[in-house]
Amino acid sequence: MPARPEVVFAGTNGGALDRVEDYEAAGGFRALAKARAMAPDDVIAELEVSGLRGRGGAFFPTGRKWAFVPKPEQLAKPHYLVVNADESEPGTFKDREIILRVPFRFLEGCLIAAYAIQSQHVFVYIRGEYEREFEVLRDALEAMRKRDLLGEITVVLHRGAGAYICGEETALLESLEGRRGQPRTKPPFPAIAGLYAAPTAVNNVESITTVTSVLELGAAEYATLGVENSTGTRVFSLSGDVVTPGNYELPHGITLRELIYDVGGGVPGGRDLKAIIPGGSSTAILTASEIDTPLDFDSLVKAGSSIGSAGVVVIDDRCCMVQLGIRVSQFYEHESCGKCTPCRVGTRWLTQILQKIEDGRSSQADLDLLLSVCDRILGKCLCPLGDSDAIAVASYVDRFRDEFQAHIETGRCPLGGDSSLEGILAPSAQHERHLHEVVHA
Amino acid sequence: MPDLVTLTVDDRQVEVPKGTGLVEAAQAAAIEIPVFCYEPRLGPPVGACRMCLVEIEGMPKLQAGCTLTAQDGMVVRTAATSASAAEGQESTLEFILVNHPLDCPVCDKGGECPLQDLTFRYGPGSTRMSFSKLTFDKPIPVSPLIALDRERCILCYRCTRFSEDVAEDGLLIARNRGAQSEIATFEDEPYRSPFSGNVIELCPVGALTSTLYRFEARPWDIQNVPTVCTGCSVGCNVSATIREGKVKRILSRNHPEIDRGWLCDKGRFTYPHLRATDRITTPLRRGPKGLEEITWDGALDSAEAMLREAEGGIVTALSGSETSEIAYALGRLLREGLGAHSAVLPEATSDALDAFRLPLSAIAEAELLVVVGDDPVVERAPIVDLWIKEAGRRGADVVTCSPTGTVQTQPGGGAELCRELSEPRNRLGRRLRRAARAVLIWSGPGGGGGARIAELAHDLGFDGKPGCGAFHLPATPNARGAAEAWSVAADQDEIDVDHVKLLVVSGDDAAAAPSVRSLAERADAVIVMTMFHELAGGWADLILPATAALERDGTTMNLEGRIQRLRRAVLSPCPDELTWISKLAERFDVDISPHAAGVFAKLAERLFRDLSLDEIGLHAPLPPRHAYETPAAATTPAPTPLPTPTDVHFVGELRLQRYQPLFSGPAVDRVPELSFQRPPREVELSAADANRRGIASGDAVLVRSNGTSVELRASVNRKLVDGVARVAAEHAADLHPSVEVLKS
Amino acid sequence: MTTAIYSRVQKLRKQYPEPTSAVLPALRLAQEEHGGWLPPEALREVADALDVTPAFCLSIASFYDQLRLEPVGRHLVEVCTNVSCALAGAQQVVEAFERGLGISAGTTSADGGFTLGTVECLGGCGWATVVAIDNRHRLRVQAEDVAGIIEELHAREA
Ligand SMILES: Cc1cc2nc3c(=O)[nH]c(=O)nc-3n(C[C@H](O)[C@H](O)[C@H](O)COP(=O)(O)O)c2cc1C
Ligand code: SF4
Ligand code: FES
Repeated sequence: MPARPEVVFAGTNGGALDRVEDYEAAGGFRALAKARAMAPDDVIAELEVSGLRGRGGAFFPTGRKWAFVPKPEQLAKPHYLVVNADESEPGTFKDREIILRVPFRFLEGCLIAAYAIQSQHVFVYIRGEYEREFEVLRDALEAMRKRDLLGEITVVLHRGAGAYICGEETALLESLEGRRGQPRTKPPFPAIAGLYAAPTAVNNVESITTVTSVLELGAAEYATLGVENSTGTRVFSLSGDVVTPGNYELPHGITLRELIYDVGGGVPGGRDLKAIIPGGSSTAILTASEIDTPLDFDSLVKAGSSIGSAGVVVIDDRCCMVQLGIRVSQFYEHESCGKCTPCRVGTRWLTQILQKIEDGRSSQADLDLLLSVCDRILGKCLCPLGDSDAIAVASYVDRFRDEFQAHIETGRCPLGGDSSLEGILAPSAQHERHLHEVVHA
Repeated sequence: MPDLVTLTVDDRQVEVPKGTGLVEAAQAAAIEIPVFCYEPRLGPPVGACRMCLVEIEGMPKLQAGCTLTAQDGMVVRTAATSASAAEGQESTLEFILVNHPLDCPVCDKGGECPLQDLTFRYGPGSTRMSFSKLTFDKPIPVSPLIALDRERCILCYRCTRFSEDVAEDGLLIARNRGAQSEIATFEDEPYRSPFSGNVIELCPVGALTSTLYRFEARPWDIQNVPTVCTGCSVGCNVSATIREGKVKRILSRNHPEIDRGWLCDKGRFTYPHLRATDRITTPLRRGPKGLEEITWDGALDSAEAMLREAEGGIVTALSGSETSEIAYALGRLLREGLGAHSAVLPEATSDALDAFRLPLSAIAEAELLVVVGDDPVVERAPIVDLWIKEAGRRGADVVTCSPTGTVQTQPGGGAELCRELSEPRNRLGRRLRRAARAVLIWSGPGGGGGARIAELAHDLGFDGKPGCGAFHLPATPNARGAAEAWSVAADQDEIDVDHVKLLVVSGDDAAAAPSVRSLAERADAVIVMTMFHELAGGWADLILPATAALERDGTTMNLEGRIQRLRRAVLSPCPDELTWISKLAERFDVDISPHAAGVFAKLAERLFRDLSLDEIGLHAPLPPRHAYETPAAATTPAPTPLPTPTDVHFVGELRLQRYQPLFSGPAVDRVPELSFQRPPREVELSAADANRRGIASGDAVLVRSNGTSVELRASVNRKLVDGVARVAAEHAADLHPSVEVLKS
Repeated sequence: MTTAIYSRVQKLRKQYPEPTSAVLPALRLAQEEHGGWLPPEALREVADALDVTPAFCLSIASFYDQLRLEPVGRHLVEVCTNVSCALAGAQQVVEAFERGLGISAGTTSADGGFTLGTVECLGGCGWATVVAIDNRHRLRVQAEDVAGIIEELHAREA
C-alpha cells in the first residue's frame, strides 16, 4: 500500500470537515491569517516555491499565473479571482468531493488567493448540476460571513447551466459575463483582460484548496511531497472497471499499478485490464502494458499522454475500442460550442466515421480518413476541446489498431455485441432524432 | 509619424504602423491571408472560422492570422510558403464544405462569393464526406426583406456580431450549440432593425439574401453605379446595381468618414418606389373634368402663365431633397426671373456650424457626447446612431437629453437645455468645456437647433479645439445645399408674401407635408412637382412629374456640410427637372444650363470657391472649418422654416410628442416589404402615467384631444419622461398638442 | 408572476458588476417559475427584467443543456451515459427506466408525469451509475434499483 499523506483532505479522517467550528478546531483559517500577515507578493513567491501547478488540466504553475496579474498600481481596474468549479471532464469528480468534505479549506484558499492578487471580488463558477455542492458552499459562506471572515471581499457563487465548454477558462468568463459560453482567442490572457476585461486569475477548486495547505504547511514542506516538476499530492478520481472506485489523494508519481491495484483493488471479477485513460477523457489512452507509468506530468508526457485532470478510467477486456471512440466523440460533438469550424464540424464527422466502422460498413479508406480528420482538427481549433476529441480518438486507433482493423476486415465488432459499451445511448444521439436529414448524393 | 514595425511575410519584408493587424500587414506586402469571419468593422477579431491559419516563427501551432497584430521582427508564412499553413487552410475549407450545399448555380451570391472564390483557389477538388449533409427548410424568412438559406451558412457569426455589436439590437442571434448552432430570430419574429440589410452584405456566402434581389440578376450582367443615398441627411455612399436599365439593389460603398460601409434599410430598400404603379410620367393640368394629361409644351405654357399672373405673390415650398443644382435653378428662375418670391423649407438651416465641423467618424472618437433634441437620432440620421453606439462601446460618455434620454426633458425643451449648458456653473457644461474630444448633436425638432447648437459650441469654447465639434441633424437630405443654392441664386432679398397667389411645391416631401398642404389652402393656385399622383391629385392645379435621386446627376450637401456627387443610375421616365426649368427660364430671360455639371459650375463659382466635380471624386473630402460668425451676422437671405408642432402652446394633461419615423414618406409608402419596419399603431406612456390611468402595455386606449380622438395600443416606456404621450406622426392624425389618454 | 420575476431579477443583477451577468440565474429562476422549462413568455419576462431582448435570452438559453425550451414532465429523470457510467451498466439503467416508465429516452410521458433522458458526465464517475432525479443525484444506481425509484416517485406524486 503506498503512503497516503493527506493535504487537501487533511484532518477529515475519511469524513467531512463541513462545520465551521470543527474546521476551526482543526486549525482552520490559520493559513489565511498567515497570508494576511505577509505582503501579497510574498504569498505569490511562497506559491512559486511550493511548485504547485494547476489541477484543472493545464498544469500551469499557480504562483506564476498570479504573478502575471498586474498590480493595482499598474492597472487601475477591479481585479477578480474566478474559481473554476465547473468540473465536467468525463472521469473527473474530485472537485465535488473537495467542496463537500472541506468547503472551508476551499473558501479559505479563495480568500488567500484574492489577497495575493489584491482582488476584492471572488466568483465561484460551479457547474449547474452540482445542487448539493452549491448548497454546502452557500451555507459555508454564510457561516464565514457571520464570523466576519470575509472582510471586504465579496464571494459570489455563480451557477452554470450545463455546458462542458464553460470549464475552459475564457468560455467560463464569457458565460459569467452573461453570454454564450464560447472561448475567446488568446491573447489577451485573462490575467491581463479577463472578467469584464479586467485582470483576472482563474483557478481550479483543487488548486485553490491546495493553496490553503501550502500556506499552512509551508511551501518547502509541501514541495517535499510528490516528484520533481509535479510536487505535492493530487486527488485522483478513479472510476470504470475497478473494484473500489472513488477519489484518492496520493502524492504525484505513484504508478498506475499502485493506484489501480493497491488502492483500487484491481479489476473486478478477475477480468483482464485492457486500457487506462489516465487524465480524463481528453487524454490519450494507455494500454495494460503501460501500467507501471508513474502518475506525474513528465512521465505521462513521456508515455504520449497527459495527466490532465487526474481522472483515471480503468477499462477491462469487455470494452470495444471503436465503441469507446464513438462514445467519447459523441461527448465532444455534443459539447462543442460551435464557434470554430474544425471543432464544430470535425467532432461530428469523427463520430460518423467511427459509427460506420462499428457498423461494419467501412473500408480501409475510412480508417485513413478518420486519422486524417483527427489531424485536420488537431492544432487548428480555437480552444483545446476539438483537439481533445482528436487526441483521444487517434490514440485509440494508435494503441488498438488491430481492433479497428478487425472491424474493417470482418465487417463486424470482434466483441460480437458483448461489449460493455454496446448500445449505449448518448445525449447527442437523442437529439439527432430531431434533426431533419436527407440523403445527399 | 506613427511607430513602425518591420515584419517578414512569405520572405517579403514589409513596414507597417504599429498596431496594424496581420491581415492588413500581409496585404501591404501584396499577400492575401484569406478570411471569412474577420471583419474589423464588427469589433475585435473572434478567430472563429480558422480560414486565416498561418505559421509564425517561434510559435508551435498554426495561428489564426486575423487575431494577431504585426510585431517587429515577426516572421510569417502563409499557405504560399508553408506546407503546414497550406494544410491548415485546406483543412478549414474542407470542414466548411462538409455541410455546404455547393448550390452555386442557383445562389444569388454565385459569382461574387468569397467562399466560391476561396474554394476555387485553395479548396480540395473532391469531397471525402460521404454522410448526409445537414439540411433545413428553405428559405427561412428572417424578415420580409431577408431570406436565410440555413444550409449555406458557414457560421462565421458576422451577422449576429453585427446585430449584437454594431446595431446593438440583439435580434439576430445564434441559437443552440455545436453542430446544431444556427442563425435565428426570436420565435419567428422578423429581424426588425433599421440596419438589418447590412447582414446581407456581410454574409460571405449566400446564406442571407435580399428578398428584393433574390433571383433577379447574375453578377456578370449587372453594372454598379457609384452614387450617394438621399434617404436622410447623412449621405451614405452607395452603389446602385443596374440590370437592363433598372435598379436591382443598393449596396454600400464604404466612405470611412461618413458611413463606414453601413447603410440603413431605408437607403437600401426603397429603390422599388422608382417603379411604383402610381408614378406620374406626364404633366397633368386641372381642367373642368379634373386633372388631365397634357403635353410638356402645354405644361410649360401653363406654368409660364401661372407664374406671370402671380408675379409678386409666389411662395416656393422646397423639400430639402432637391439636388443643389435643382434648388439653384429654381432660385434663378423664381428669384431672378420673377423678382418677387419667397421660399419655405421644412426646417431652418445654419452655416454657423461649419466653424465646428468634424467628420461623422469623429463621433466614435469622442470622450463625451451630448445629444439634445426630441427626435431619436436613429429616426433622423440612422448612421449617426451607429457612430454614437460605437463611441459608447469605446467608452465615451453618451448623454442624451430628450423625453426618453438619460437626461429627461419635456418635448421642445432642447433650446432651454442648451442655454443651461452654456451657463458657467452647469456641471455637464463644465465637463464639455474641459473635454478635449466632445461632440454636440442637435436632433430636432426644428432647425433653429443648428444655429443654437453652434452658439452653444462657441460658448463652450469649441472654436479652437480640433477634437470638439457640433452637428445638426436636419430632417431632410439636402436642406443646407438647397437653402444655400436658393440663397445665392440671385441678389434680391426674400419678401414676406401676405397673399399667396401661387404656391410652387418642389418635390414629394414638401407635397406630403401637412404644413405645406395648409399653405396650399391659402393659395390661389398651386404647381406641384411630384413623382406620385396621390400626393397632389386633390389640390394641385398643375402637376409636373418629378425624378428620384437615383435618376439625377448633381450634388447634395450632407449634414457635415460635405458636398457629394449624385450620379444618374437609371434614366427617368420623364424629362428631369433641370431640362424643363432651363426651358421655362428661357421664357423669363434667365439662362440656366439643362445639365447638372453646367449648373454646378455656376453654383461652385458663387458658393463653393470654384470646387470642381473632379475634386469631389468618388469619396468626397470634408471642407475645412470656417471661422464662427454669430447667426445674426450671417446676412444671406434664407428660406423660412415651417412651424413645428412643439412651437404650439400646450395646455392639457399630457403633451403629445409626434415624431417622424425613419420609415415614412412617399418612397417608403410604396415598398410593401418595408411596411413591417413602420412604427406600430401605439402610444407610448411613462410607467407613472400609465399606472395612474390603470393602463398596461398592450391595452387598447383612446388618445383624445379637443374634438378629435384616435384609438391606439398603449406601450409603457420605462425611459419616457412623465407627462408625455409619444405617437408616430402617421398615427397621430389631427391630434392637438394637448391630449388625454383613456382606456377604451 | 411577471412582476415577481422582475423584482427578484433586479436583486440578482446587483450581485454583479455588470447586470447581464445575471442572465443565467435569471433564466434559472424563470424556469422554476414556469414548471421546469422556458416558454417564450418566460424569455420575454427575463428580457424585460434585464433590459435585453428575448432573442438574446433565447441565444443564451439554447446554449445550455439545463435550460429547456420544451416542456418537461413533473419529474425529470436523467441518466448519465458517459464512459464510466456506461462501463458500470448505464444502458441497462436507461432501459429499465424506459420499461418502467413506458417511454423512450428523450421523451416525456403522455400524462406529463415524467421526462426521461440521457445526459453527459454528471461528475460522479466513481459512484456509477449516476441518475439525476429532479436534479438531485442518485449514486450507484443499478438496473435492479429502478423499479423502486419509480415507485418512490409515483408515491411522491400521490
Ligand atoms: C474544454 C476544456 C474544459 C475544461 N474544463 C475544466 C473544468 O471543468 N475545471 C477546471 O478546473 N478546469 C477546466 N479546464 C482548464 C481551464 O481552462 C483552466 O486551465 C483551469 O481552470 C485553470 O486552473 P488551474 O490553473 O488551477 O488548473 C478546461 C479546459 C478546457 C480546454
Ligand atoms: S448567415 Fe452568413 S453571416 Fe451569418 S453566420 Fe452564417 S455565413 Fe456568417
Ligand atoms: S478569418 Fe481568422 S478565424 Fe476567421
